[in-house]
Amino acid sequence: MSPKVYLRALLRESRGSRGRLLFFIACLAVGVAAVVAVSALAASLEAAIRSEARQLLAADLKVSGRQPLPTELDAFLQSKEGVERTDLKELVTIVAAQATEEEVTSGTAAPSQLVELKVVEEAYPFFGEIEVHPAATLSSLLHRGVVVAPDLLTRLGLAVGDPLRIGSANFQISGTVLSEPDRISFNLTMGPRVFLSAQAFDQTGLETFGSRIGYRALLKLPEGTTQKLLKSFAEDLEASLPNAAYYNVETYTEAQPAMRQGLRQVERFLALVALVALLTGGIGVAQTVRAWLAGRLQAIAILKCLGMRPREVLTLYLGQTTLLGAAGSLAGGALGLMVPQVAPILLGDLIPASAVSSWQPLALFQGVALGIGIAIIFSVPPLLALLRVPPVRVLRHQAESLPANRRANWAAAALLLLGIALASLVQTRSPWLAAQFTGGVIVVTAVLMAVAAGTIRLVGRLPRDLGRPWLRYGLANLGRPGSATTGAIVALGLGVMVVLAMSLVETHLSHQLRADLPEDSPTGFLVDIQQDQWEGVQNLLQQQEAKAVDSVPVVMARLSSIDGTSIQKLAEENPEDRDRRWALTREQRLTYLDELGDDNEVVEGALWSDPTLAEVSVETEFAKELGIGIGSRLGFDIQGVPLELAVTSLRTVRWETFRINFFLVVEPGVLDTAPQFRVAAARLPRDREQSFQDLLSAQYPNITLLRIREILEKIAGVLGRLGVGVRFLGGFTVLAGLAILAGAVSAGASRRGREVALLKTLGLTRIGVLAAFTVEYACLGLAAGIIGAAAGGVLAWAVVTQGMEIDWVFLPKPFFFTILGSAALTALAGNAASLRALAQRPITVLRRQDS
Amino acid sequence: MPAVPHIELRNLSRRLPSGGRSLTILDEVELTIERGEFVAVLGPSGSGKSTLLALMAGLDRPSQGEVLLNGKAIHDLSEDQLARLRLQEIGFVFQSFQLLGNLTARENVLLPLELAGVRDADQRVADLLKNVGLGQRGHHYPSQLSGGEQQRVAVARAFACHPPLLLADEPTGNLDSATGSLLLELLMDLRRRHGTTLVLVTHDAAVASSADRRIFLRDGRLDRQETDETEIAPLEPPSPLDPAKPLSPVAG
Repeated sequence: MSPKVYLRALLRESRGSRGRLLFFIACLAVGVAAVVAVSALAASLEAAIRSEARQLLAADLKVSGRQPLPTELDAFLQSKEGVERTDLKELVTIVAAQATEEEVTSGTAAPSQLVELKVVEEAYPFFGEIEVHPAATLSSLLHRGVVVAPDLLTRLGLAVGDPLRIGSANFQISGTVLSEPDRISFNLTMGPRVFLSAQAFDQTGLETFGSRIGYRALLKLPEGTTQKLLKSFAEDLEASLPNAAYYNVETYTEAQPAMRQGLRQVERFLALVALVALLTGGIGVAQTVRAWLAGRLQAIAILKCLGMRPREVLTLYLGQTTLLGAAGSLAGGALGLMVPQVAPILLGDLIPASAVSSWQPLALFQGVALGIGIAIIFSVPPLLALLRVPPVRVLRHQAESLPANRRANWAAAALLLLGIALASLVQTRSPWLAAQFTGGVIVVTAVLMAVAAGTIRLVGRLPRDLGRPWLRYGLANLGRPGSATTGAIVALGLGVMVVLAMSLVETHLSHQLRADLPEDSPTGFLVDIQQDQWEGVQNLLQQQEAKAVDSVPVVMARLSSIDGTSIQKLAEENPEDRDRRWALTREQRLTYLDELGDDNEVVEGALWSDPTLAEVSVETEFAKELGIGIGSRLGFDIQGVPLELAVTSLRTVRWETFRINFFLVVEPGVLDTAPQFRVAAARLPRDREQSFQDLLSAQYPNITLLRIREILEKIAGVLGRLGVGVRFLGGFTVLAGLAILAGAVSAGASRRGREVALLKTLGLTRIGVLAAFTVEYACLGLAAGIIGAAAGGVLAWAVVTQGMEIDWVFLPKPFFFTILGSAALTALAGNAASLRALAQRPITVLRRQDS
Repeated sequence: MPAVPHIELRNLSRRLPSGGRSLTILDEVELTIERGEFVAVLGPSGSGKSTLLALMAGLDRPSQGEVLLNGKAIHDLSEDQLARLRLQEIGFVFQSFQLLGNLTARENVLLPLELAGVRDADQRVADLLKNVGLGQRGHHYPSQLSGGEQQRVAVARAFACHPPLLLADEPTGNLDSATGSLLLELLMDLRRRHGTTLVLVTHDAAVASSADRRIFLRDGRLDRQETDETEIAPLEPPSPLDPAKPLSPVAG
């Protein structure tokens, strides 16, 4: 066949089937919509990050570190012309309202709040707008006082003009900040923002020994600096810094690598959820193709009889499904591009509406290509049936099929597998994850199919003498041999599984996060306690009925070498490995202990076992990150004093106890004289947390209380909103399942029409027929619901207990409602698809059968 | 050297599974049809007429024996090769017309020409439709045509590629007698013009009367055959094949 003839034949062949293949398009469109939605949303956010990279950094280049920036930076910048610089400091601390007279007399303290403090100079920000109220520049407001987030005013019951105590100084609140360019709303924050000037910060006394301050220098290069020049500037700058590994130099062209990486991880997960919807659509495609071919057997026989080769017929029909696949994918793509518009509504302030733009051609292309691919690989297996259509059918209708082509069948199966693997690779860009996903899909589908087939067989054997003809008819229909219900049950079951599993995992996670902490674990951490403050803090804790009070000394240090190799060199070895770089260059917190807590277990070596060495015990995961083991020598720089420690034991830590624990624990005696402060942990009654924080803040403004309950609440809130998005996506799978069911019902419409006619002739009323159909579809939905719920339960259980190590709680309600919902939705969709059969007059149908 | 017969059936049997048993449809049939001959196959329902036709066309495969077309065995060709063979060598007319419902009359006739890659296909289709008296009806779908008209489209399609062999299975079976006679005249006319070999299955003696030779089937076996001049009964055994005789390749 020449391409021209092929194309003409293709268009002609599609004439008879356009209407009937609507379900083909619908099944596919739903899946493609999910895929496009996820990738459009991700691309949209990524594009927003890239296009606003300079605003997000508020500079061309940022140098940051956990310690004051070195004087070498000043020297370097002085040698460069036209470079502007402004410095920032960021820290987390507790601020408070001024105590009222009443509070002073009653001995209670004014309300306090954990905030994220940002100390800025006049030039901040170099790029992007900072929006403040009343309308003015930030620096003019900072001249008069501090600028805070509106949220803080609400929490402390304050208004603009009121005083706010930060550290040991009081400031007037001169305005509120509504948005800032370099703070992104989809990051988890510790508390509301407070801005103050560098001069004001000096008065707070918060920059003391041990305080955790992030130091940043924002740089603006002369207008017209190319990205290439910027890059070489950054490299020169990095080279000029001593101990460059301890600082992070970031240009706007890198566009927030950490944030984008996080985004990609979320995208990867959502992309797989969307792929499940698309694969479910694929099952629908296979089923529709099968039903379609059943009606085209005679035409296929004629084509073969007229001299069309079997493989030409196959190509012709494959062309059909490809065309339909393209139509369905484009429809789904258009739908998918609209979804990101509703994302900000679904996900709340996790995603700023301004960051979402609908037109994402790459996402559309990816979705449409995947859609067409899935349409093809799922059509080939049923299409192979046309190779078996005997041409002699033109003479003898009951002619037996030609023998199956085993090689073609194997090839089709291989194509299907390969296609799924490739699709998951496209979606995850990770071969390992794609392999796991493909394996999982195959196992789950095989199990669902087996159970679905078993269920249908079981229904076929149920006693049917239940006294009501519609009940018997409905059950009989479900169990009839050769009914296309298995596919529908599998697809619906998959949908139910995804939705329920997601919801169960999320419920367990947020339940775990919201449940009160274990009896013996602390609820708050106190950090930056100076040695002379500890006694007073202890008294305060006692007053507030704190239990399980625990405190250890902390010595801040930097790792300077491992086995004689400098950290600088080690960090440069593999600059892309962010985790390792972090482990090497972080501010190391050392403590010294005689004995370890019962949540620590030495797994290698022995604790303080060598009297001749200054020893350190290292947590196993951290040791892996550093690439060290027993016998390694770690060089430290403790406030300028060098110290070498030998690793003599490795230990595991159960971090989930929330107790104070350290990666590095040093043998007692070694660090006694080093400059140090204390951290403490305590269990406070829920209703005393706020008052304790208020009192602590009033007496010891430099000490920060981290409230674990509050932090967990925040995480749970974010997860909850993400969960809404995930379930929304999972809903697409259910939708695809329903489209498949409607397709299966509609494919059998003529048979059903005859049966309805017969039933009506025999005296069953329209309501009776409707009841029979409802029984059939509800049972089908029930079966799919039970199977899917069971699979979803197992999946969620595995994720919760194995993946997250959270205790499993059986929650009957979600199971119950999922199964019920599945039955109801299925009955609704099935009846809707049968409406035409129901509406026909019996005589029309019976007469047609005669002719 | 004698000419190679157009069709040769040697010891041809076809059995079908039926329930648990095997049902014999054709039983050791021997038959030779010469080029340009018009053979009518007669017999009661279920005597194996249509199966005989199907085996000649490579639509079905024999359980035993050989089918030779132009002296070349076709029973062991692949489905693809058989399809090409039918396209180039054989035209079909069926009792139930077997037009493609989603194609117009014109497109139905055009299809084999397109498959064969014929150049002036459009002109040929127009001529063919004119020949069968449907010059103005080419854009109609089969469902918009009467039974007689549909069968005429089928005849036009059958002759589209000028096949040397035409197989017709009860072509008038679904038509009233007046329409049937007209159609038969058309068929004869076209056959004469193209010099086509025609094998026509019928149980209508009147239809069969114009054939060069009539073959009677009964219970899957050749019962007897007759020509206009002589009545031959019982059937003559076929002449043994000369092993030195080369097989002519399939034309086309």
